[in-house]
Amino acid sequence: MSAILECKSLSKKFTALTALSNVNLTLERGRIIGLLGPNGSGKTTMIKLLNGLLVPTSGSILVDGKLPGPETKKIVSYLPEKTYLPDWMKISDTIEFFQDFYPDFDSKRANEMLERLHLDANRRMKTLSKGTKEKVQLILVMSRNADLYCLDEPIGGVDPAARDYILNTIITNYNENATVLISTHLIADIEKILDEVVFIKDGNITLHASVEDIRSKEGKSVDTLFREVFKC
Amino acid sequence: MQWELDSERPVYIQLIEQIQAGIISGVFKPGDKLPSVRDLAAEATVNPNTMQKALSELERIGLVYANRTSGRFITSDEAMITKLKGQSAKEQILDFIERMKQLGFSPEETLALVTDIVKNGR
Amino acid sequence: MLSKLLKHEFKATARLMLPLYLVLCVLTIVDRIALSIEFKGALNVIPVFATFAYGLSIVAIAVVSFVIIVLRFYKNLMTDEGYLMFTLPTKSHQLINSKLLVSFVWNIASILVIILSIFGVMATPDRMDLFRDGYQMFISELKQEFGAFNMSLFLFEFIVLMIVGLINNILIIYVSIAVGQLFNGHKVLGSFAAYIGIGTVIQIVMTVLFITLGVLFNKSFSESSSVPQIIFPITIGFLLLTNVLYYWGTDFIFKRKLNLE
Repeated sequence: MSAILECKSLSKKFTALTALSNVNLTLERGRIIGLLGPNGSGKTTMIKLLNGLLVPTSGSILVDGKLPGPETKKIVSYLPEKTYLPDWMKISDTIEFFQDFYPDFDSKRANEMLERLHLDANRRMKTLSKGTKEKVQLILVMSRNADLYCLDEPIGGVDPAARDYILNTIITNYNENATVLISTHLIADIEKILDEVVFIKDGNITLHASVEDIRSKEGKSVDTLFREVFKC
Repeated sequence: MQWELDSERPVYIQLIEQIQAGIISGVFKPGDKLPSVRDLAAEATVNPNTMQKALSELERIGLVYANRTSGRFITSDEAMITKLKGQSAKEQILDFIERMKQLGFSPEETLALVTDIVKNGR
Repeated sequence: MLSKLLKHEFKATARLMLPLYLVLCVLTIVDRIALSIEFKGALNVIPVFATFAYGLSIVAIAVVSFVIIVLRFYKNLMTDEGYLMFTLPTKSHQLINSKLLVSFVWNIASILVIILSIFGVMATPDRMDLFRDGYQMFISELKQEFGAFNMSLFLFEFIVLMIVGLINNILIIYVSIAVGQLFNGHKVLGSFAAYIGIGTVIQIVMTVLFITLGVLFNKSFSESSSVPQIIFPITIGFLLLTNVLYYWGTDFIFKRKLNLE
């Protein structure tokens, strides 16, 4: 079985800047991995590349050994940083939408999670607060039995209770053999749920290590290490 | 169960300590069935693989045993739990004596002080 | 996958179009009744208002049919909703197909609904006779002008031209929006600029083409048969060619140059 994600000399240049330069990275299955870096370090570019929303300038990115396309989109469950559900849809419409397009979507699981939040499936997206919209999106994304979950800043700007809810939802729902890739700059909040971290700085991967290794070898938290590495 | 974990030390070691503490304090009773790894991990907001590692270690030392079909249980071996309690008490006392030393009390003075306080209730 | 995209595209658009059709249907009946009753004095404003409201609903349908072409494409693909659509396990050309087909169907449906409703308001037995006479006169004049064969050809080509032209109108909007999203931060402005730019280029090319043809076929252009035999076929061919270019351009940008904000 091939690695779930493989970047080979991956570069992405925009007119004014190089977002990723010559990235080599292999991610294995069955891990929760943090993609950590400050804002503008290339996290989102990386995630867009693996979802086929951008095309590499050079090098390649392979998901399950394949170039991004309909086949890889079937096995990647992606939570972007945006609220991307049309606001005229009812929550039940969004469930039907996911059910229609993703064969691995488990609508029973989605409905159970909605019930636990006491969310009425007849509510329209536009009547929901931003925080609730984000929760609905997370529920949809985590109700898929995907091979790779790709979560872009899932806990950016939420209160501690919501953060715990989100982390709990991720831990309880991801597929056993799947990899969860979480991009964030809020390391302290999520480091305890990570197996591995990838540090990204100015478009380069500066570290890829096991979290427990960092703690036992360096005797410090990932957050502390991050602050040292990315000190301004 | 209330989980308190810091990120400076390996998390699986802290999980082992806290589950042991839970067994001693009776949050987990002898013979109790443990929740699934996934649920325990969610409850403590830690990585399931880390929780798995902690439970495997507890299994290795015999505090927890796994039944192939029905999950994981706390050991029913009361002697073992008593031993664990003794161990934990000893650790706490050694720790306490060490701290009293730092305050300038010799172990004998500490003992006298403890005896006095226990007798007089205050 | 296309069938599912179509299903959801129809669902997203029907909620706008069907209520409008219903309103038009009601106003058609209201206006028909209002026009058939003899009102006296101040009450004369009733048929005036009814007709005004009726006209407004026709305008609304025409406007919304057009807006659907633009907005469903722009909002659903180029804004935040694009993150949802472009990560579906589909090919990008299926996204274009679903939008194109659904926009096309709604525009045709709107035309038919409006025509039907005009009959609904106007049709009386005498007027229908008048209409039938007018239609027969029109056909016989065409026959006189073109001859039987060329007339059938003319009518057939006319319908094809309408269809290809409608698709052309939709696709030029799509390609303009796709080009516009290359201008990060000025996507809407970029789309307008692209629309005007592409439109101008096409106008110039077409003018040059017809002047050249006019010189080449100098003599035959003055004959009426040149319409079905030369002018329409060339126009259709030209539109088909630009359709292919617009479609290909849109798909190329989606595949290689997509840049959602």
